Amino acid sequence: MTAQLPPGLEIEKLDERIMTLNVGPQHPGSGHMRLIVKVDGDYIVSCDPDPGYVHRGEEKMAEYRNYITNIPHLERPVIHDSCNVLYPYCLGVEEILGLEVPERAKYLRVIASELNRCVYTQYWLAIYGIFLGHSTMFMWPAGDREFLIDALEKMTGARVTHAYFVPGGIRNDVPANFEDMVLRRVDYFEKRIKEYAAIFYDNPILISRTRDAGVLSREDAIRLGTTGSTLRASGVDFDLRTKEPYDVYEELDVKVNTLKAGDSYARSKIPWLDMLESCNIIRQAVQKMPKSGSVRVKLKPNPKGGNTEVYKRVESGRGSLGCYIVSDSKPEPYRVKMSVGSFRNLICMPYLLKGEKLGNMPAVYWSLNYWPVEADR
Amino acid sequence: MSAIAPKFRLGYFLKSILDNTFWGIILLTLVGIPLVMMLLFYLELPVINGKLLSPYLAFTTLADPSRQIPLIKSLMQTDFFRIAAFPGFGFAALVAAGTIFVERKMLAKLQLRVGPFYCGKIEGILQLMSDGIKLLSKEIIIPAKADKPIFWAAPVLFVATAAAFVSLIPAAGNGWVVANVDVGIIAVFAVIGFFPVITVLSSWSANSKFPFIGGIRALHQMVSFEIPLILSVLGVVILTGTLNLTEIVESQHTYWWIVFLPIGAIVFFIAMLAELERIPFDLPEAESEIVAGWLTEFSGMMYGLVQLGSYLKLYAFAALFVVLFLGGWNGPNVWPPFPAEIIEKGIEMGPITARFPGLPLLDQQMLNDVLWFVIKVVGVIFFILLPRGVFPRIRIDLLLHIGWYKLIGLSFVNIFIALGLLYAGVLGPGGIL
Amino acid sequence: MGTATGIIKALNSGIKHLAVKRFTLRYPEQKLKFVGDGYQFDPTTGVGIAGYKGRHMLFHDKCTGCNLCSIACEGVAEAIAMVKVQEDWKHNKKSIMPQIDYGKCVFCGLCVDACPFYALYMTNDYELSSFTKEGLIYTPAQLQVKPDVQQDAEFVFSDRGTTHG
Repeated sequence: MTAQLPPGLEIEKLDERIMTLNVGPQHPGSGHMRLIVKVDGDYIVSCDPDPGYVHRGEEKMAEYRNYITNIPHLERPVIHDSCNVLYPYCLGVEEILGLEVPERAKYLRVIASELNRCVYTQYWLAIYGIFLGHSTMFMWPAGDREFLIDALEKMTGARVTHAYFVPGGIRNDVPANFEDMVLRRVDYFEKRIKEYAAIFYDNPILISRTRDAGVLSREDAIRLGTTGSTLRASGVDFDLRTKEPYDVYEELDVKVNTLKAGDSYARSKIPWLDMLESCNIIRQAVQKMPKSGSVRVKLKPNPKGGNTEVYKRVESGRGSLGCYIVSDSKPEPYRVKMSVGSFRNLICMPYLLKGEKLGNMPAVYWSLNYWPVEADR
Repeated sequence: MSAIAPKFRLGYFLKSILDNTFWGIILLTLVGIPLVMMLLFYLELPVINGKLLSPYLAFTTLADPSRQIPLIKSLMQTDFFRIAAFPGFGFAALVAAGTIFVERKMLAKLQLRVGPFYCGKIEGILQLMSDGIKLLSKEIIIPAKADKPIFWAAPVLFVATAAAFVSLIPAAGNGWVVANVDVGIIAVFAVIGFFPVITVLSSWSANSKFPFIGGIRALHQMVSFEIPLILSVLGVVILTGTLNLTEIVESQHTYWWIVFLPIGAIVFFIAMLAELERIPFDLPEAESEIVAGWLTEFSGMMYGLVQLGSYLKLYAFAALFVVLFLGGWNGPNVWPPFPAEIIEKGIEMGPITARFPGLPLLDQQMLNDVLWFVIKVVGVIFFILLPRGVFPRIRIDLLLHIGWYKLIGLSFVNIFIALGLLYAGVLGPGGIL
Repeated sequence: MGTATGIIKALNSGIKHLAVKRFTLRYPEQKLKFVGDGYQFDPTTGVGIAGYKGRHMLFHDKCTGCNLCSIACEGVAEAIAMVKVQEDWKHNKKSIMPQIDYGKCVFCGLCVDACPFYALYMTNDYELSSFTKEGLIYTPAQLQVKPDVQQDAEFVFSDRGTTHG
């Protein structure tokens, strides 16, 4: 075709050997995101992730809602990890409005955040099992997170999208004999997830599929700016809960898990080790929590801040989640920008998948702890 | 009433019953009875007490129990019974149906959930029946550019080959096998060699991308695992000296071959899992990568036939494993003998003594054989179903590596062990054991 | 040899789990029990009371038609509209009360937080399906009815697994 092409389009010549596969948004082997994969026989020549399928314009929509009405809106990027997504936003707005959060609220926030981290990680593990063709690895995590979802539901009133954190504390206090209930569930949950070792992590077939697949060295991980479990699986000891502690994490003893290998096996094991660590954190927080006290600062009807900007970040299930808020003395924020761990890890995908076998693609791609909805916002 | 479902009217309901009865009677008289007549024309009617048993005579004698028994007994010795009921298609289909249900429930229990639960009052027993009726009622969609004759024929060919495989396996002693071939094992492998061909034919004729990839993967997998399958059986053949499956079972009346050839049994088991396309080797049907592999385009009863064929193959492979390595139907005699007074004197019910000449129908030895055979086959099927809940799917290059390197190596080791045992005079003809 | 022990350990774990009790909740014969009576908010202290965020319940003898719940919902889901009711209350001169469209409501509970008169609570009722979209719009009279829920299934922890009972 020699006619003039409209600007932005280009003609791609089809190669004889290289086949272009659209592992599309509606495919049993991908999340809701498109991967344009060029394959030469069984080896991937190049991979071009195409996010944006679930883009909603959440950051723009946040400019039309005031600080309180933004709560149900901004928790939607990751519905089962909603407390962690709201955490940096609440911390930022508290700094803008100059609010002081009571102690009991801080401990309850930490408990809710850790419960959400476990719930999210179980769901991620379940989908990982599906990608590898292991149906038991789907059923067990999906069933075992019910204990924690039940605990969260008694705390917050909803199973997912809790809308629990507000600037100034949390929305409601916990019911009676809450500590007992949470500890029972967390104990049973920990007993259950220790069973995963025999059937999943020590399973030779799983090891053969994920070991040495998509190796990310330590220097590359730091250079590409990865975050979260991907970073810790490459041997870098970086966790925002210990490096930049927020709320009451200074008083809690958080052990950061790292593995040196940097392959998919390590990346799939780190979130599981993190879950075991979360159970310990919840136990410590329940023990150290003040037995009574207020949980929320009373706000004026239309809270406004000055002309400031603030950036806060938090360790969510996928990595560091930051929220940058610009306020201009109006009830609505001028700009809310969320920097999510999934989007920052997206750069690893074309880098790691080049030269991989096609059979390894689901194992590597999902092991980067990528949540498409959050990356697209 | 809901806005979607129509209201119930008694008149319409009675009309529908009458309609169905009418059409049922019409079909029976115009199609059913001529078919039965034609069938009886070709069947060999037995001769009982010097008289040829025509259908009318058969129906009249059924009224008298004492004359029923010889009739039923003679029917059980015919070839037709062996093909259709035991140990042929009927028995295998029953075991296959049971396997499907047990697989779903066992997998569910392993995954801490209930499987089928609501269909049928107790734990979903009738689920399979409702699935069968559902598949019968679905529309069969053929892709537009598909190769229609081959596409229609492929599931039927699949079931036919699976049934041919089933017909070669003996289920009890004294000739209870549909086809008593002297070169039993070679016939078995000849029939197994058809399966890759049928798979590739059905996936090629569907003319679509996903069946194509699934068919190629199935071809690679089945072809590369046939060689270890055959080689692992060679050890048993060397030690027994015969290829006939019934004689192989009879040679295991003291020791089972798995005691002396465990490596061969393991290699056979792994190769069997690959031939059956079960997890961890279910690449041709990998759900998360290619939608359903070579089965994608089959819908309705064609899918039902393919599933039936798959599970018939599963029963046949498990039965072959039992026959070759686990001693077939050999086992201690636990079946109680038929009470002798009933044979001689009959059953006494008050003033009447009913005599049943010709009882027992099946002798005690045969029932004992069947009992042990079924127990062992159920055990092997349990171990085939278990990896489905425990292992993920294996990658294709690892699969080919295992099939071509590791399993062939192990089966050669097995053959050397068998040769060593034979030449050391331990086993085989003229051996110590 | 490491491969063989791994395979045997995995199979062993599988077989052990055949003896564990099944976890499934047999809904609708069993329904999960919730902790209280539903999410409520106390305007004097400014803190909520823990409860499940289900269908709303409107107390007609407290609602003054002040419109605050509707304004709170405007930024979130726009599910509350004020409609005229045929009732005469001394504290509700304009005779308007909220009508909630459950096709739009996201059950966040900000409307309950906004009400200063203890008039709007949330209950434990979550079975709200309907055959038509209009059936999802609950009028103030429908919101007055206390739901009749029979929820009593809880976790039963035991050595052989957890079930609902």
